[in-house]
Amino acid sequence: MALFSGSIDKLTAAGIILSGAAADDMDVDIYVLLQGARAFKKEIGDDASKLSMAEYPHLKDEFMESLAKLKVCTWVEFFRQAKELTNVKIHICGLAGKIWGGEKLEDFIDLADDIVGIGSYMTAAQEADVHLFI
Amino acid sequence: MTSEDIKNLKIAKVVDARGTACPGPLLAAKKAIGEIAEGDIMEILSSDEATKNDVPKWAVKKGYTFLGAVEESGYFKIYLKK
Repeated sequence: MALFSGSIDKLTAAGIILSGAAADDMDVDIYVLLQGARAFKKEIGDDASKLSMAEYPHLKDEFMESLAKLKVCTWVEFFRQAKELTNVKIHICGLAGKIWGGEKLEDFIDLADDIVGIGSYMTAAQEADVHLFI
Repeated sequence: MTSEDIKNLKIAKVVDARGTACPGPLLAAKKAIGEIAEGDIMEILSSDEATKNDVPKWAVKKGYTFLGAVEESGYFKIYLKK
């Protein structure tokens, strides 16, 4: 999966899709590209107030309230659960990290496994049975 | 399997996923099935309409047996055999 997006709605969608992959015991490699890398910064993560909404931005409060009412996990919780259930590796794009002020792995939430370049992503995409760009 | 057969099943584990939306029940089922033995039966309670299709499809794909589902008021029960 290429996770380009760093908005709360798309991160939530990625988390739900990832949960389906986890239920299926799939091996998943997530390449966190440009805007996605910002969301993975330690000081952002689950802090929804620091994340925008890509679609219907004016309805963010309604969206967040509905998620809470339906007891839907936060996007970080989805990613964490999936990592516990199946083999999920989260790779942060080195350039993306730098753009958002993250040079080292410890600048990102503890779910991130390593910092990689675009070559690794292409290889994984070529070898994958299913490939998504979010 | 008739509803009478389902009533007489020996349930090894009950997973109460009522009150959570998709993918909550699926993840709960996935976690719980690892805790039962081969041949054991699991009952999943869910109030999420999508689960009724989702969990049986997942179960069959993973090689488990879907025994049936029973509607209750406001939720339903799904039976799987590992």
